Amino acid sequence: MVDTEPDPLPPVFAAGGDVGRDLAAVDWDATPLGPPEAWPQSLRTAVGILLSSRFAMWMAWGPELTFFCNASYRRDSLGQKYPWALGRPAGEVWAEIWADVSPRVDTVMRTGDATWDEALLLFVERSGYREESYHTFSYSPLRDDDGTVVGLFCVVSEETDRVLGERRMATLRDLGSDPSVVRTEQEMLSFAGRQLERNLRDLPFTLTYLFREDGSARLAAATGVPADHPVTAAGLWPVAKAAGGESVLIDLPVTDVPAGDWPAPPTQALVVPLLQQGGTPYGFLVAAVNRYRRLDDSYRGFIELTAGHVAAGIASARSYQAQQRRAEELAELDRAKTTFFSNISHEFRTPLTLIMGPVQELRDRLGDADERIRQELEVAHRNGLRLGKLVNTLLDFSRIEAGRMQARFEPVDLSAVTADLASVFRSAVDRAGLSFEVDCPPLDRPVLVDRGLWEKVVLNLVSNALKFTFAGGVRVMVRAAGEHAVVTVADTGVGVAEDEMPRLFERFHRIENARSRSNEGSGIGLALVKELVTLHGGTITADSTAGVGTVFTIRLPFGSGPVPAEPVAATAGADPFVQEALRWLPDQESTPAPEVTAAAAVSARVLVADDNADMRDYLVRLLRAAGHRADAVQDGRFALDRVRAEAYDLVVSDVMMPRMDGLQLVAALRADSRTAGTPVLLLSARAGEEASIEGLEAGADDYLVKPFSAAELLARVRANVELSRLRTRHARWRSALIDSLQEAFFVCDEDGAVLEINTAFTEILGYGPEGLPYAAVHPWWPSEDTDAEAYRRVAVFFDMMLEQQQGIDTVPVIHRDGRRLWVAAAFNQVADPDSGRRVIVGTLRDVTAEHYAIQRETALAGLGMRLSQAENLTGALHGVLDELRELWQAKYALAAVFDGPDRAEVTATDPGLRWNDLPPDHRDALIRLRDQPLLTPDGTGILLEHPHGAMVLWLELGADRPFTEQDQTLFTLLAGHLGQGLQRVHQIDQQRETALALQRAILGPPDLPAGFAVRYQPATRPLKVGGDWYDTVQLPDGLIGIVVGDCVGHGLHAATVMGQLRSACRALLLQHSSPARTLTALDRFAALLPGATSATVFCGVLDPDTGRLLYSSAGHPPAVVVDADGVAHLLDQARSRPMGVRGGKPRSEAEFTVPPRATLMLYTDGLVERRRQPLTTGIARATAAILQGRGEPVEDLATEVMTRLTPDDGYDDDVALLLYRHPGPLELEFPAEATRLAPVRSALRGWLDRAGVDKMTAQNVLVAAGEACANAIEHGHRDSPGGKIRLRAAATVDDLHVVVVDSGLWKIPITGETYRGRGLMLMRALMHEITVTTGSAGTTIEMQARITR
Amino acid sequence: MSTPLDLTAGPASLTAVGEIDMSNAGTFRAALDAALTPDGTAILTVDLTGVEYIDSSGLSCLFEHVERIRLVAGPLVAPVLTVSGLADITRFV
Repeated sequence: MVDTEPDPLPPVFAAGGDVGRDLAAVDWDATPLGPPEAWPQSLRTAVGILLSSRFAMWMAWGPELTFFCNASYRRDSLGQKYPWALGRPAGEVWAEIWADVSPRVDTVMRTGDATWDEALLLFVERSGYREESYHTFSYSPLRDDDGTVVGLFCVVSEETDRVLGERRMATLRDLGSDPSVVRTEQEMLSFAGRQLERNLRDLPFTLTYLFREDGSARLAAATGVPADHPVTAAGLWPVAKAAGGESVLIDLPVTDVPAGDWPAPPTQALVVPLLQQGGTPYGFLVAAVNRYRRLDDSYRGFIELTAGHVAAGIASARSYQAQQRRAEELAELDRAKTTFFSNISHEFRTPLTLIMGPVQELRDRLGDADERIRQELEVAHRNGLRLGKLVNTLLDFSRIEAGRMQARFEPVDLSAVTADLASVFRSAVDRAGLSFEVDCPPLDRPVLVDRGLWEKVVLNLVSNALKFTFAGGVRVMVRAAGEHAVVTVADTGVGVAEDEMPRLFERFHRIENARSRSNEGSGIGLALVKELVTLHGGTITADSTAGVGTVFTIRLPFGSGPVPAEPVAATAGADPFVQEALRWLPDQESTPAPEVTAAAAVSARVLVADDNADMRDYLVRLLRAAGHRADAVQDGRFALDRVRAEAYDLVVSDVMMPRMDGLQLVAALRADSRTAGTPVLLLSARAGEEASIEGLEAGADDYLVKPFSAAELLARVRANVELSRLRTRHARWRSALIDSLQEAFFVCDEDGAVLEINTAFTEILGYGPEGLPYAAVHPWWPSEDTDAEAYRRVAVFFDMMLEQQQGIDTVPVIHRDGRRLWVAAAFNQVADPDSGRRVIVGTLRDVTAEHYAIQRETALAGLGMRLSQAENLTGALHGVLDELRELWQAKYALAAVFDGPDRAEVTATDPGLRWNDLPPDHRDALIRLRDQPLLTPDGTGILLEHPHGAMVLWLELGADRPFTEQDQTLFTLLAGHLGQGLQRVHQIDQQRETALALQRAILGPPDLPAGFAVRYQPATRPLKVGGDWYDTVQLPDGLIGIVVGDCVGHGLHAATVMGQLRSACRALLLQHSSPARTLTALDRFAALLPGATSATVFCGVLDPDTGRLLYSSAGHPPAVVVDADGVAHLLDQARSRPMGVRGGKPRSEAEFTVPPRATLMLYTDGLVERRRQPLTTGIARATAAILQGRGEPVEDLATEVMTRLTPDDGYDDDVALLLYRHPGPLELEFPAEATRLAPVRSALRGWLDRAGVDKMTAQNVLVAAGEACANAIEHGHRDSPGGKIRLRAAATVDDLHVVVVDSGLWKIPITGETYRGRGLMLMRALMHEITVTTGSAGTTIEMQARITR
Repeated sequence: MSTPLDLTAGPASLTAVGEIDMSNAGTFRAALDAALTPDGTAILTVDLTGVEYIDSSGLSCLFEHVERIRLVAGPLVAPVLTVSGLADITRFV
C-alpha cells in the first residue's frame, strides 16, 4: 500500500476546514468560474471572508450565480443538499424557494442595493420532506475587481425555532387570557376555539370531543373544519385509548380535509386526552398535525399543553355550572314556598270562616256569661282575626304573582282616604304613650287607587311604625309634588341597620334582633306593601337610621278629573290590624290571679316567657290546671332576672321574643353556674331542622313546635322536670341531622381531641367513629419529620382553633389511605350544653382539586416570569431552580446537563454543589434518569432536553417527604414548559454570542503596544454590537497610530461598515503617518462606502519616546489626558465634521505632548452619553474615574473605568475605550552576561527620564536594578551560561515597579559582609519594597520605589 | 562591550571616571592594588567624583582596603556609599 500525500488545498479554500476540502473537490473547470488559481482577487477575498466566518453565510458568483457556503450554513440550513450544492447554480440549489428569492437576487444584481428580510417563510427540502422554515437574511452585492456587481453575499440566520416557539407561546398565552372568570362549557370551548383558529399553521384543524355518561364521545367543538365535515365523526378516533388517558398519533382516516394555513392538507393527527384531575378524561382533542413540520417533542408538548388548557377550562366551567344549578334550585325552592303557603292559606279560609262565624255568634249570645268563658272567647276571636289577616295577605301575594289581582281603580282624594285610615290607630298610639300626627291637607287633584288595596298599604305601614317605636311618635303626611302625590309614614323607632336595608322589602325576610313590641309577624307585610304600590304605578322607598327612626315614602301618580267629594269610612279591614296592635301594649297584659288547682303528680315551679299575652295566659292556665306553680314574664330579659332571683324547676320559653330571645336566654342561663342546671323547654313557631339545631346547640333541653296540644306540653313539662338531673340531649336526632350534612362535621373538646364526627368526615378523611376520640396530634396530620411545612400549617390552624372564637383556613391533611388532601376548614367555639364547657365545632370541605388548579396556575406564571427575565441559559436555570425549590420547599433543586456518559454539569440552588460533590448513589440515580423517556417523572426527577444535551431535573425534598401524584403531574407540566423555555433562551443566547464573536473577530486580538489597554463592550439589553471600534497601528520610526471610531447604527451591517473603515484607516495611517491626511483620505473612502457617512473618528499619531501626540478629530468626542498632578486636559483642537460629510474646511491636526505618567483616554460616546444629561457631564465623570485610578496599572484602570461608568441597567449603546499611560512600560530581555549591564542601565536610565523620575530616585533605581541583574548573572546563571534575564519597569502616578526575572536559582547570603550580601542590602536600603520569589523555574525580584512629585 | 571606566593614578591618588560594575570591577581592583604603596603606611585618596555608577562589586574593592584609603565622591554615588558604611572615610563634594 502506498501512502500518497493529499494535494495541498488551493490557498483560497485553506480557511474552510471540511467545507474548504469539499470546495476544493469541486470540478471548477466545469463551471463558468474556471480553476481557482485563475479567480480574480475579489472572488478569492469574498470566498476567504465566507469560509473564515462563524456566521452562517452563502454566496453566489458569476453568470450562473455559482453557489458557495461555509460550515455554519451547511450545518444550519443546507442539510442533505451538502456537498452536492457546492459549485452549482444557486437557482438549482434552492430551486424550491427560487420563486420567492429570485426577485431579491435580481434587485441586488441590478441595483447593487442590499436587501433585508426578516423571518421569511421558506419551504425547504433538506430533511427529506418539504419543511416550513424561517430565515432572516440579507443579500449584499459582491463586486469584481473593477467594481461591477457579479455576485451576491448572503448572511443568514435561521429562525425557524424562534418563530415556531413564539407562535405556539402566543396560542398558549391567548388560551390562558380568557378575561371572564367563569363561563359555560360551550362558551369556554368557543373562546378556546377562536384562539386555536388563529393558529392554523400548528393546528390546521382541531376537533374537541367530550365523553357522554355512557362513555361514547360527542363532538363539542371544531376549529378549522366545519362541524358537519365527514372527518368529525367520533367513530374515526381511538376513543377507548383516549378514555384511558393515552395520546395517539394516527394517520387521518379521511383525506379530503381542510388544509389550514397551508397549500396541502394534513395527513396525520394527534389524539390527546382531556385529562381530569383524579378521574377519567373529560374527552379528547384531535389536533391535525402540520405536514410541513415533524411532530417533535416541542410540537407534541405544545398540543398537549393546548389540551391541558382546554381540560382546565372544562373543569372550571363544570364546577361553575354546578354552582349555578345550586343557586337556581334555591330560587326554585323559594318560589315553591310561596306557592305552598298560598295554597295552604286558601285551604284555611273555609275552616276560618266556620270558626269565626260561630265565635262571633257566641260572643254576642254569651255577653253575660261568666268571666272565664268570655275571656276564652275573646282569645279565640282575636286570634281568628289575626289568622284571617295573615291568610288574606298571603292570598294577595299569590294573586299578584299569578297576575290575577283585580284592582278596581277609582279617583279619590288620597289625603282624606289616608287620614281616615291612619286615624284608626289613634287610640292604640295614644295608649302606647306616643305622639301621633296625621298631616293630610286636601290635594287639588285625585289619585287613582283601589280602596281595598290602599287600605292594606296604609294599615301595614302604620302598624309597623307602632310596632317598632317605643318613644317619640308616628307621623303620617300627604303632599303633592309635581305629578305625584307623596305619602310618608315616619316614626322615631329603632330604625333599620344599614346592612339590612337592601332586604327590607324582601318576602319572608325578618330583621333579626330588632327590638319590637312583638316578635309576631311573618315578614311579608312590607313585601306586600311594595307589590301593592307597584300595582298602583307608584314607588316606595325607605330611609332609616338605626336608633333614630324610619321614613317610608310612597309616590303615586295623579289621575285626571275633579276630586270626588264622597265621604270615606274606615273599612272593616282595619279591625285585625288595630286589635293586634292593642295586644302588644303593656296595659293589656293580664296575668290571671293565682288559682287553687288540683295537685299534680309532679308539682313544679315553672316560669313561662312569651311576648304574646294570649299565649302567656294560655300556658299559665294550662300549667296551673295541671297542678304546677306557674309565673309568666314578657321576654327573655325578665325571665333571666326571675330565674336568677328564684329557683324554678323548669323554664318554658318562646324562641322569638323582643329584647332577649329564647336562644339568648338559654345561653345566658347556661353561662351562669347558678342557673346552668335549670332545664329549658323552648317553644317556637318555626319548624325545621335549622331551628331545632339552633335550639339544641344553644343548650335547650327540649323543643316544642307550635301548634302543640295541651297534653303534649304537659307531658314534656313532666318529663323534663322528672329527668332534669338525668337530662340527655336529643342526641340521636341531632346526629341524624349532622350526618345528613354534606360537609365533614366534628366536635372537639378544649384540648382539641375530636369527640364526634359525621359520615361525611369519614368519607373525606377515611377515619370513622370507631376510633373516637382522636386526640391531638390527630392521625390525619402530615408527618412532622417528612413534611414539616404541611405539619406547621396544620399546627397553626390547630392553635387558632383552640385560642380563637372562630376561624377558617385551607390546610393539608393526609387521608387514611395516605393520599394528601387539601381541606377548607371552619370552626366555632360554643359552650357545651351539658357541662357548660367550651367545645369547638367545625366543618371540613375537600378542596384538593381547586387547590392544585391554583397551585398549577401560580407555578406556571412564576416559571414563565423567571424564563422571560433570564438573560442566558445559566440565569434561566438558576431562576427556575429557585422557583421550583420554593414551590416544593425542597432542600435543594438541581439540574444535571450530561456532557459525557457518566458526567454532568450541575447547576443547583445550592451554589457550591458540583457533580463530584454528589454522593455516588445520587449520581447513579441521575444517570438512570437520563435513560428514562423524556418528561416522564420518576420520583422527584425528570428528564428533559437542555440545548446542550439531556438534562435531569431533580428535587431534593429531604428524607421520606411525600411526592404525590398531583406533585408529579405539576412537576411534569413545569418541566415541559422549562424545556421549551430553555430552548428559547438558548436561541437568544446564541444570537448574542454569534454577534459578539463577530464583533470581537473584527476588532482582532488585542496585540497592543506597551502602555495601552483597550475595551469593547456591546450594549447590554437588547444586546447590540456594531458601530464602535478601537485600533492601534505600529508605524515606521517607532510611531504608533491610535484610532477610536463610531459608525452610525448597530447590527451586522454597521459591523461590516466598521470593519471596512477600520481597515481603510489602518492602511491610510501606514501610508501617511499624519492624522489629518489620514482622515481626509478616509473621507473619500467613506463617501463611497454605503453606511459609512457620518461615522466619527478620533485619529492620533503618538511618539512613545517623547509623548508627542498629533491628532485630528472627525466629529468625535475629545480625548482626555490626566497628568501626574491630577490636571485634566481636553484634546478638543483640530475638530471637524464627521466622515464623508461634504463641505467645511480641510482637516487640520493639533499637537499635544503627553507628560510623564499621564494617562490618555480615547472613547466612544456610549461611555459618556446618558439620557437627559449633557455630554460634558459624562466626560467629567470619565475624567474623574481616570483621576481616581491613576495609581493603578493601566490594564486595571481600563476595567475600573468601564465598571464605574456602567449605568444601573447596563450600557445602552456599545462602547470602545482606549487608554495609554506614558511612557509605556520598559521591557528588556538580555543574555546573562556582565557586559550587558551597561547598555541595560542606559536603556533604563532613558526610560526613567521619560517617566519624569528625578535624578536621585533614578540613581537609586539604577543601583537596585543593577544589583538584581548582577545577582542573576553571577548566581542564577553561573552554572548555565547563555540564560536570559528579563527586566520590566512600569510607572503609575506615584510608584515605579521594576521586576527582574531569571531562570536560575540563587541563594541569598545571610550576612552583609560578602559583596552579594551587600548588594541585597543596597536594594533594600534604596527601594521602598523588595520581594524575592525563588522557585524551581527561576527567581523573580520585584522592587517598588516611590516617586516624589 | 564592557562598561566605560577611565582610571588615572597620581601620587597618593587614584581618579576614576565612568561606571563601575561587575564587568570592570577587576580592573578597578587591580588599579587600586597598584596605586597603594607597598609598605602600606601612606593613605591613598580615591577620587570618585567622575563616577556615575558604582555597585556592590566596586564597593567590595574599596572595602578590601578600607584602612588605607580616603574617598572623594559626588552626590550621585553618595547614597550608595552612605548606605554601605563608607561615609566616614568619604569627603563629599
